[in-house]
Amino acid sequence: MSQEPLIRLTDVSKVYHLESGDFTALDHVSLDIQENEFVAIMGPSGSGKSTMMNHLGILDVPTAGALYIDGKDVAKLTALERTHMRRDMIGYIFQKFYLIPLLTAYENVEYPLILKYKKRDTTGKAAEMLTAVGIDEHMSAHRPNQLSGGQQQRVAIARALINEPRILLCDEPTGNLDRKTGFQIMDILINLHKHGKTVILVTHDPKIAEYAHRIIELEDGRIVGS
Amino acid sequence: MMDIFFDLSVRSVRLNFLRSLLASIGIVIGVVAISSMGMLGTNMQLSVKDQLSANVNTVMISSDVVKIRTTANVSTTSSGIDKSTLNDIESSAGQNQVIPIHRTSTQFTIGSTDGRGSIYGLDPNDIPKFLTVDQGSLTKGGSDVLVGATIASNFNLNVGSRIKIGPSNTANRPVVRVAGILTARGIASDGVNADTAIIVPDLWYTDHYGDKDVYDQVNVIVQNVDTISDVESAIDKKVNRNTQIVRISDASSRLTSITATLGTITTFIMAIGGISLVVAAVSIFNVMMMSVKERVQEIGILLSIGTEKGEVRRMFLYEAIILGLIGAIVGGICSFVIGYSVVNAMLGNTTYFFRPESLIYIPYGMVIGVVVCIISGMYPAWMASNMDPIDALRSE
Repeated sequence: MSQEPLIRLTDVSKVYHLESGDFTALDHVSLDIQENEFVAIMGPSGSGKSTMMNHLGILDVPTAGALYIDGKDVAKLTALERTHMRRDMIGYIFQKFYLIPLLTAYENVEYPLILKYKKRDTTGKAAEMLTAVGIDEHMSAHRPNQLSGGQQQRVAIARALINEPRILLCDEPTGNLDRKTGFQIMDILINLHKHGKTVILVTHDPKIAEYAHRIIELEDGRIVGS
Repeated sequence: MMDIFFDLSVRSVRLNFLRSLLASIGIVIGVVAISSMGMLGTNMQLSVKDQLSANVNTVMISSDVVKIRTTANVSTTSSGIDKSTLNDIESSAGQNQVIPIHRTSTQFTIGSTDGRGSIYGLDPNDIPKFLTVDQGSLTKGGSDVLVGATIASNFNLNVGSRIKIGPSNTANRPVVRVAGILTARGIASDGVNADTAIIVPDLWYTDHYGDKDVYDQVNVIVQNVDTISDVESAIDKKVNRNTQIVRISDASSRLTSITATLGTITTFIMAIGGISLVVAAVSIFNVMMMSVKERVQEIGILLSIGTEKGEVRRMFLYEAIILGLIGAIVGGICSFVIGYSVVNAMLGNTTYFFRPESLIYIPYGMVIGVVVCIISGMYPAWMASNMDPIDALRSE
């Protein structure tokens, strides 16, 4: 008997009702992702990669079909339960970093801990995490706009990891970085995968996709290769 | 350590300092308007209340029937309290002092200046029971009279001055001599407005105006103010036993009525002041909406990484509260200064300004200012918390 997948999409469709007519972003997609897999999702613009990531990140729910994460049907969860699942199970790494501009690097990393434990971090975990991704104490006092792209992405990774999520969703994590920094970030992701994280990566770059153990190709909202 | 959401709100306010400051100034103006108007109204009420409270132990009795009398073959109508009614009042008033009062209005001449005022006819023995002499002495009878403080001041009267009583075109007008000048009474709640009156002995009054044994008003000065309603009902039972002969009232009912009226006026002027708070509320609402619109992507980030809707709402409400608190605190301080100046300018004294019932309007105004800000921030906060994180993240 095979192991229950960490993520399961069963015949998932997502239809957006636009003024110009209905647009199907995901078309009867079925997919299993096991715990500790390293999956790359590739495809041209408009192929449904972002919609897929939004679903995997529980930011959206399917129009039809079912999405299970850790055995739970996401559509049947309340909004608050989905929020808590995002906070506790999933770490997000975005192409544009999406750090909170009003907070320092340290506070950005501390923030998910505050969300989870409803108090400021006094354990030093946030500082440790920043050190682990290569941000020193001096840098951690800076606001995001005072950091380079690579430094911002390291902070974003530290933020994504602070609550020890089981799934890491990476949306073009190297897209805004130079090639060298990009590979440094990928080394961090590979290391995290080695430590048991399930990494799901969206990329246009075949070189980056090569790091993954499985590549899922999307086209017009359908899986055309896996 | 500070709540992270409060911290975010503080930083947002700092980031948009000028905009936040301008919005808070609206609240400052609103708080000052409400507090100052409230304090002014209360000071007016307290002032009037204190003046009226001086005679709160007096029951006023006036005739409630009109009698037709014939004097010098001419029928006239008048209302008065006759001797038998006065006897009834005296017998039912117990140990309390009963003061029958004659009253009319007249023209008079002082030197070459004509004037008009009230003339009260009182038993000289009754005068010191409720009036005090500032200069000179009490009248002992005859044509010695007392004059009110306002008349004395307006006509430059001194002890010994002469006053011709009656219209200036009348021949052989009686002349009275000022024996004393009364202390100013202000608003008299016992119906004797002595400041603008001439107080003459009752015999002089009846000699010149008739009406012997018929009084325009009878005052009963009650020794123990707690028994005032018992005294009133005793008089009512005795005098009005068959028909309504006299109307009985006391200063406390007038006091209640006047303070209620002033209270209504205070509420009204505070409501006018409140309009500025409505304007401020619109300004706060606008600032909050701008803050939400400018931070759409940030809201998207917060929601996507697991911030609860309630926490996002809290963050924006904190921002509104901060604006409100800044406005309320500055407004409170300004209210103290401006309120003091307004009360001083309008009433001429600040005796009552530091009373708790006056100063309470400062915290009232401050609380209203903060509440207005919270209400103004509710919709923007709700809007922020209900954003779709995907759409919010996409916005630039």
